[in-house]
Amino acid sequence: MYSIRKLARLALTVTVTTILSTTTAIADEGAATPDEVVTKVWGAAKVLQTKGASAIPSLNNADGPWVWKDSYVFAFDCRLDRMVAHPMRPDLVGRPIMQVTDNNGKRIFKELCDAAKHKNGGWVDYQWTKPGAGQTSRKLSYAVTADLAFSTGIQVAAGVYDETLSVEQLNKMTEQLADPGSFDH
Amino acid sequence: MDQQKQGNPAVVGLGGFGLTTMVLQFHNVGWMGIGPVIWLGLIFGGLAQMIAGFQEKSTGNNFGYCAFTAYGAFWISLALLLIGNQFNIYVSSKTDIGWFLVAWTLFTAILWVGALRIHGAMATTFTLLLIGFILLDLAHFGYPQLTVVAGYELMVTALAAWYMMAHVIFADVYGRSILPVGNPWIKA
Repeated sequence: MYSIRKLARLALTVTVTTILSTTTAIADEGAATPDEVVTKVWGAAKVLQTKGASAIPSLNNADGPWVWKDSYVFAFDCRLDRMVAHPMRPDLVGRPIMQVTDNNGKRIFKELCDAAKHKNGGWVDYQWTKPGAGQTSRKLSYAVTADLAFSTGIQVAAGVYDETLSVEQLNKMTEQLADPGSFDH
Repeated sequence: MDQQKQGNPAVVGLGGFGLTTMVLQFHNVGWMGIGPVIWLGLIFGGLAQMIAGFQEKSTGNNFGYCAFTAYGAFWISLALLLIGNQFNIYVSSKTDIGWFLVAWTLFTAILWVGALRIHGAMATTFTLLLIGFILLDLAHFGYPQLTVVAGYELMVTALAAWYMMAHVIFADVYGRSILPVGNPWIKA
C-alpha cells in the first residue's frame, strides 16, 4: 500500500515529466533557440566554403535544410550591397540592402555587416516580421562572413524572435561555443 | 606553285585565353555570376584554346604548344571542378581550389621565364598573369579582399593577350605590322 509520501512523490514526478515533455514539444514546433541559430549559421558558412557558389540555391529554398521552426538562414553581400539569398522573401534577392531600416530607423544590414566582420561573428537586435505574422517583433540575428572561392566572401545570418535576451549575452554565448577552451576556468 | 597560306593558331588561343580570363574577372569583381565562366571555360578557353595548342605543334612553336594546350586544360578542369561542386562529385573546397591555383602559379612561373625571351608584349602578358595568379593564391589563403585586386589586374592581362591576338590579325589583314610587340626583355 502506498504511503502519502510515495503518492506525493509519484504525483510530483508525473507533473514534472508532463511539464518537461510539453515544454520540449513546444520548443520543437515553436521557437528557434540561439544555439540552433549559431549551428545553422556555421553550417551554412561551411557549406559555402566547401561547395562555393553552387551552394547558394539551397539557401533560397523555403523547404530546404536552412529553414527550421520559426527561423531561416539568409545571405547577403556587404561589399556589393546586395541580398544573395532569402528563403522567405525572394523579392529581396538581388536588391540593395544597406538602406533597409526597421521601425526604429535602425539600419539593419549595416549593423549585421559590422557584426559579421568579427572573427566569430556577432549578434544584432532589430524589428522584423516573423514568418506568418502580421506585425513586427524583436529579432536578434547572428551574422558571420562565409569564405568561398573566387569571392571576397558573403555574409550569412539567422535569428531568434525574443523580447528579453540581450546582444551581450548572446555574443558571450557564441564566443564560448566558438572557443570552449578559454572558458574552462 | 605557291605553298597554301597557313593560319596562325595563336589568334584562336589568345582569343580564348583572353576572353575566358576576362569573364572570370567580371565574376571576381562581382559584376556577374559564375555561369558564363563555366560554359565559356569549357568551349572557348578550354576546347578552342586546346585545339589551337595542338595546332601549334606543326608550327614548331613549343612555347605556344605547351601554353595554349595547358591553359586550355586549365579552363576545362576549372569548369568541370565547379560543375563537380554542383553535383557533389569530388567536391572542391575553397582551400582545394587555392592549391589548384598554386600549382598553376608554379607552372606559369616557368613559362614566364620563356616569355621574357619572346618579345615585350609576351613578357608583359606573362608577368601580369603570374602576378594575377599570386594575387588569387593569396585571396584563397586568408586575404579574400585581394579577389577584387586580382580581378582588375587579370582584366589587364586579358587585354594584353588580346593585344597580341590583334597584332597577328592586323598584320595579316593590313599587310604590315600595325601593333608593335616590342623587344624581348631578355636578349640573347
